[in-house]
Amino acid sequence: MKPVLLAAFAALLPGVTLAAPIREEGAARRGLAVYHQVCSVCHSLSHVEIGDLAGLGLSDRQLRDLAADIQVAGPPGPDGTPTTRAANLSDRLLSHFPDEASARAANNGALPPDLSEIARTRQGGAHRIFTLLTGYTDPPKGVSVPDGQFYNAATHTHLIAMPPPLADGAVTYDDGTNPTLAQEAHDAAAFLAWSADPHRSARHWLGGVTIAFLAVLAGLVFALKRRVWSRV
Amino acid sequence: MPASAASSNLSNDGDPMSGDTTCETCVKRRDLLSTGVGAMALAGAAAAAVPVIDSLAPNPDDVAVTTLDIDLHDLAPGTQRVVAWAGKPILVVHRTPQQLAILQSPALFDRLRDPQSKVLQQGAYAANWHRSIDPAFLVVVGICTHLGCVPRFDPQTDGNGWLCPCHNSHFDLSGRVLKGSPAPYNLPVPPYAVVKPGTLRLGENPAGSSFSLADIVQI
Amino acid sequence: MTPATRLDLDPDQAPEPATGSWLERRLPVGRALRREYRDYPLPRNLNALWFFGAFAVVTLAAMIVTGICLALHYTPTEAGAFDSVEAIIRRVPSGWILRSVHMAGASCFFAVLYVHIFRGLYYGSYKAPREVLWLSGFVALLMVMATAFFGYVLPWGQMSYWGAVVVGNAVAAIPLIGHPLAGMLLGGDAPGAATPMRFFVLHMLCGGLICAVLFIHIAALHVTGSNNPAGIEPRSPADTLPMHPFYTTKDGVGLCLFLAVLLGLAFLAPALLTEADNYLPANPLLTPPDITPEWYFTPFYALLRSVPSRLGGLLLAGAALAVVAAVPWLDRAPTRSARFRPLARPAWFAMAASFLLLGLAGSHEATGFWLWLGRLAGLYWFLHFLVLLPLIARIERPLPLPTSLA
Repeated sequence: MKPVLLAAFAALLPGVTLAAPIREEGAARRGLAVYHQVCSVCHSLSHVEIGDLAGLGLSDRQLRDLAADIQVAGPPGPDGTPTTRAANLSDRLLSHFPDEASARAANNGALPPDLSEIARTRQGGAHRIFTLLTGYTDPPKGVSVPDGQFYNAATHTHLIAMPPPLADGAVTYDDGTNPTLAQEAHDAAAFLAWSADPHRSARHWLGGVTIAFLAVLAGLVFALKRRVWSRV
Repeated sequence: MPASAASSNLSNDGDPMSGDTTCETCVKRRDLLSTGVGAMALAGAAAAAVPVIDSLAPNPDDVAVTTLDIDLHDLAPGTQRVVAWAGKPILVVHRTPQQLAILQSPALFDRLRDPQSKVLQQGAYAANWHRSIDPAFLVVVGICTHLGCVPRFDPQTDGNGWLCPCHNSHFDLSGRVLKGSPAPYNLPVPPYAVVKPGTLRLGENPAGSSFSLADIVQI
Repeated sequence: MTPATRLDLDPDQAPEPATGSWLERRLPVGRALRREYRDYPLPRNLNALWFFGAFAVVTLAAMIVTGICLALHYTPTEAGAFDSVEAIIRRVPSGWILRSVHMAGASCFFAVLYVHIFRGLYYGSYKAPREVLWLSGFVALLMVMATAFFGYVLPWGQMSYWGAVVVGNAVAAIPLIGHPLAGMLLGGDAPGAATPMRFFVLHMLCGGLICAVLFIHIAALHVTGSNNPAGIEPRSPADTLPMHPFYTTKDGVGLCLFLAVLLGLAFLAPALLTEADNYLPANPLLTPPDITPEWYFTPFYALLRSVPSRLGGLLLAGAALAVVAAVPWLDRAPTRSARFRPLARPAWFAMAASFLLLGLAGSHEATGFWLWLGRLAGLYWFLHFLVLLPLIARIERPLPLPTSLA
């Protein structure tokens, strides 16, 4: 039994060094700009509160500036009319469409999915998001694309209802990075990977630390056990 | 398997953690290894308790305290209005001239615990006999300084203004606590300013003064 | 073996002198704990497979602590459940740690229990006088299964929802009472507004019941004492060792390694044990493309769908568990440990393999090869318990048993 346990234990260790998918803080922060300037027009990130973005390394000032730039539904006005107000840190990144029907109506009948967990729930994760965002091409000869659909090599049917969202220069980065299509797609994918697994690096750190601690403790207890049992 | 015998075969030689059965002085000594294991296990348990305790922390109230404007035009003299601000009941009273006269009477002063509002339960602009900016309008936080119930508005001719339903604390029409009440302090006055005649703004101070809910001794 | 002498309340035993601290003289709990946990005599030849009972206790404790913290942040409503779990992952302080441990803990709990049970089957730990010990453990397994199912539904993701649909329909297949029972369980014809609250209450309730059953299980263990790899009762004091420091240190080593596996799964490989689809909110209009239960239910899931009848599948899955409960009466051989049973030993390996194959079959689509593999493995499972075990007990000639454990 002991070798089996040890083998299981050893098998877990490489998990620490598993190839990291598209993921780094700078890219994810730029990806927030892509989301904010482009994706958020149609897509919600409904489980993420603005304050949660502190996990990307944004300062309180940056968070409040971002919040001030986002309008959310406010309390009804004195005559009962709907109003909007600037968001605060506990507001979520909800859809701009009031309901599903209006979201579909504005998007040729397709419903833009919520992006909170999309890097986890779609097979291929962040890499697939990248290939999808960069997969728009002209259809090959002889392939007809129906109205309201676009040709995208990355989907199974090669068709997608989302018009090409990104292009060179479609986003303004405040860190001076050149906003090429590939850069934007990479950053958007990194941001969505963060959204689907916001504690990834802390999780790995904690996993490494706890296993190292338990390994040392196991060694010490084993020495103690050897000594205790040496008498029988 | 006699239970009494089971442990006797090995427990007659002192510290069972010690491998050395001949050393007499070792009997009470905890050696380095077992102490180290014990300390590490304890440290591990303590570390495991951290996320548990962490998760029980109160929610940070990250909703920025906003301002709230109150229109006083339709507040009839002698009446109170209750508004919610910063998650607290705020009592706004329009006092009649008769009531204001009573509030200045020395007879009332003698019955008050803190007639001059010396305890920091209000900003400097409300540390006066009427505990307000405009004498006619009083703004207080409707939380009894005893155990937190909301006092009931019950204006009397002798200057009494509120009666706390929980333990009978009396407050006058300036929110000052009467002697003999269990409540130790006057009702707090929240930060507010007069933005234009007839409109108060909660959460903002008059120009030149600074005061916030956090400054209040007891709320 | 005179178990009764260990009980304080035994009238034949002279009252122990009222010594010790003020409290001890009034409530001799310290003495009882010392006797039952420190000086408690254990066979000296226990191997690493005897770790797993301790692992289960530790896992249960971790599940209860993390579970209580999670419950404080969970909203048991149709509209709020998914959101509250997202909030736990994203912004409850350390919420993601607690949930990771709770999820990995559920899987590890089953892994530990399965090893614990198969160890018992190998070494004949169910045989007289340990039948009640065995049955109490069986009840604990059922409670753990129920708790795991109720808990799995709580996040109200796609897998949660459709898992509840499938189980609701399976329950509804019970004749006469099935439909009303499923209705009462789900609070409607299908999982809906009432379900999260019911499952939340049942999850917590069953969690508490596991503790109660575990208490009985350990009490029963301390009456009969532990079995051991040789399967013979300790005959002399030399055959046993006090729990402390011998088994506290030995179990301690195992526990460190076990916790490393549990926390490694929780923090380094959480995707291994979760279905990504459960991070999509429940959608009653869309069944996810491949819905498979968690790995620990797959052997029973394979049986559930191995026959083209809802009731038949349910009965098979139930019977597969029932034969395990009945094993003390199916296997009447006097020799406990398979070490000394030349026929029962290979039969155990074949039975364990059939369980693994059932699990494998249950995690694949029920067509062609996997369907038939599941059927054959299931058939062997029943063959082992209902035919082979009674038969082997009659014809087997056990090897000579050792006379002592030393």
